[in-house]
Amino acid sequence: MGEYVFVCEDSIEGILNGVYEAYAFKKEQKIESHDLLHLATKNPDTYRLFTEYLPLETNAENASKVISTIRKKLGEETYYQLCLAMASCFEEKADAVYHTIVLGLQMNDRQIFDRLGEDCVQKAFRCARASSNEVGRMLQFIRFSELEDGILYAKMNVKHHILPFIMPHFSDRLPMENFIIYDENTNTYGLHPKFKPWYLAEGVEFDNDKIRFTEAEKEYQELFQRFCKTIAIESRTNEKLQTGMLPLRFRPNMIEFSENNSARI
Amino acid sequence: MGELLVKSAPGCAIPKKEMNIELYTTAKKSIMDKLTILTDAAKYDVACTSSGVDRKGNGRDMGNCVSAGICHSFSSDGRCISLLKILMSNECVYDCKYCVNRKSNDVPRATFTPDEICELTMNFYRRNYIEGLFLSSGIINNPTYTMELIYQTLYKLRNVYRFRGYVHVKGIPGADPIVIQQTGYLADRMSVNLELPTAQSLEALAPNKHRSNILKPMRQIQNGIAQGKQELALYKSAPSFVPAGQSTQMIIGATPESDYQIMSVAEGLYDKFGLKRVFYSAYVGINEDKALPSVREASPLLREHRLYQADWLLRYYSFRVSELLNEKHQNFNILLDPKCDWALQHLEQFPVEINRADYQMLLRVPGIGVKSAQRICKARKTGALNFESLKKMGVVLKRALYFITCSGKMMYNTKIEENYITRNLLAEHEKLPFDKDGMTYKQLSLFDDTQENAGLFGMTEEGKKAYG
Repeated sequence: MGEYVFVCEDSIEGILNGVYEAYAFKKEQKIESHDLLHLATKNPDTYRLFTEYLPLETNAENASKVISTIRKKLGEETYYQLCLAMASCFEEKADAVYHTIVLGLQMNDRQIFDRLGEDCVQKAFRCARASSNEVGRMLQFIRFSELEDGILYAKMNVKHHILPFIMPHFSDRLPMENFIIYDENTNTYGLHPKFKPWYLAEGVEFDNDKIRFTEAEKEYQELFQRFCKTIAIESRTNEKLQTGMLPLRFRPNMIEFSENNSARI
Repeated sequence: MGELLVKSAPGCAIPKKEMNIELYTTAKKSIMDKLTILTDAAKYDVACTSSGVDRKGNGRDMGNCVSAGICHSFSSDGRCISLLKILMSNECVYDCKYCVNRKSNDVPRATFTPDEICELTMNFYRRNYIEGLFLSSGIINNPTYTMELIYQTLYKLRNVYRFRGYVHVKGIPGADPIVIQQTGYLADRMSVNLELPTAQSLEALAPNKHRSNILKPMRQIQNGIAQGKQELALYKSAPSFVPAGQSTQMIIGATPESDYQIMSVAEGLYDKFGLKRVFYSAYVGINEDKALPSVREASPLLREHRLYQADWLLRYYSFRVSELLNEKHQNFNILLDPKCDWALQHLEQFPVEINRADYQMLLRVPGIGVKSAQRICKARKTGALNFESLKKMGVVLKRALYFITCSGKMMYNTKIEENYITRNLLAEHEKLPFDKDGMTYKQLSLFDDTQENAGLFGMTEEGKKAYG
């Protein structure tokens, strides 16, 4: 018997729409098991025999139906974990999330993420953990700079699409600030106007000439660079440990590691 | 350096020419100079955690707290930078032998004003450089005066600048209890430094400090926390007192205490003073003094590492000090971490069946941490676990495999024998947070009881006796 792969858009909505379509397809075609159905976020490099590839158009309404089912039947915590998994950059995420949802609904288990003995849960868990680790890292390493009109601006370069997961933290922390976080990888802006809810802006052009820093900004950057340099104990210098805790890939956007400054650590 | 113009007095022998005299004034120091001096003076303090309190933003003022704590950067020594760690002042009237700020040292001195500290904290915080403020100070005039200055700074930070982030502040031993109490309502964490593990050492190295003076504010803060919790239970809006708990630190390697003595002191502090954390600071030689180890000697980093490992065993793995060390076996093994060492001494309790053992026993297996133990307990409810799924959960099998079975089977056909397992574990090369880049084994072992450990390593007769 043949298998089917639904190729859906690489977004939370796209994948959840895929879940909806897979359920509908199974019912329609009277397919015995979900094991014969798979989700993918892009066409594979090599196609398999006896497998049909079905491209999907994202339908927001279907996705929101799946979301409400997940929240009702599997709980908010599971929903959050699934979203983290879908935000990751791994190819297996769509299929893992789909089969985790199937298993959770079959077992009627709100703690589905505890069943790490199951292969699909294991994979979804790994995806979620990778995103969540990166969320943790960005809460640490994002650096804001003050622009001339008082807006705080930060740029980040991350593997997973985690911008929506870090915005709530900073909105809670800096309610009285206008701030922007720019994700270079997805070309997405997270915007927070002061005392208002945050939102995302995708595919907009931001005038780079507008990024002009204030005088005070330079001074505070220098002060912090000096602080980071002075706080280290010379006789304990340990670059390997430093790199382990703060990998090089995060450093280009962190002012204490900026190249053009003499106070480099 | 300030310049003072002095006009020569009429009738004076000096020619009638204006002359310049350079005077030393602190007022002329720039904020950059002050930050450099007072950061440099604070860097030997270990505690830089921002954990222990969850405080959501109020939608108006700046700041919130996350209970897990957030590190914002890592300095070139690999230590985390979480808080703006500075001294209020390094103009100290005390003369503790080990301290860089002792009054007999000729170092540049500076003092921050409360406003300078607040401005720095707020501006660093909004740029996400730091998680909050860590404020300590040298003793200006007397302990109460110093504590009052710290209180004023915190008051301003909380009530004028309306800062809701994390604040860690030092309790100054010997200060008026009322000021300490008031400061406690503004801080998230307070710590009183124990400085050295025993009263004798303290007397020898810190002539102005007394053990009883240190324990008194510690007890006061402990009682304050307990009382504060009760008040919070009764009145929701009661101000919280030191909500992230109390910590302390002691210097390791400046005085001759054994690991057993140090860990016993730590256990006592956890049990009797309800401390959240005890920090251990490997002594870094700064001052030449006949009562101290030579400045050229390397810091006992490996020893510090072992103490921290054991400290975690006490706090999260429900070990007691008496299980790890005793009168005969006073120091930790430098070659094996304390948990492996314990397991090897208690092979009669192994192997442990993963699918049946209780949580406490799982925690005692080398290679299984708190997270993996929790995951195992949850996952095995729905089906038997095998080695493959253990590996994916994060269990370090290359260490655990000698001590566990899955459904009655061991992973490989291994002997449960001390020498055999020790040899295999040592072959795995423990991942230490430092190596040839920084401190090496050889430098470190100078401080450790090499005789005892060589005994274990070479499995000599003495070694067998000592560990048997």
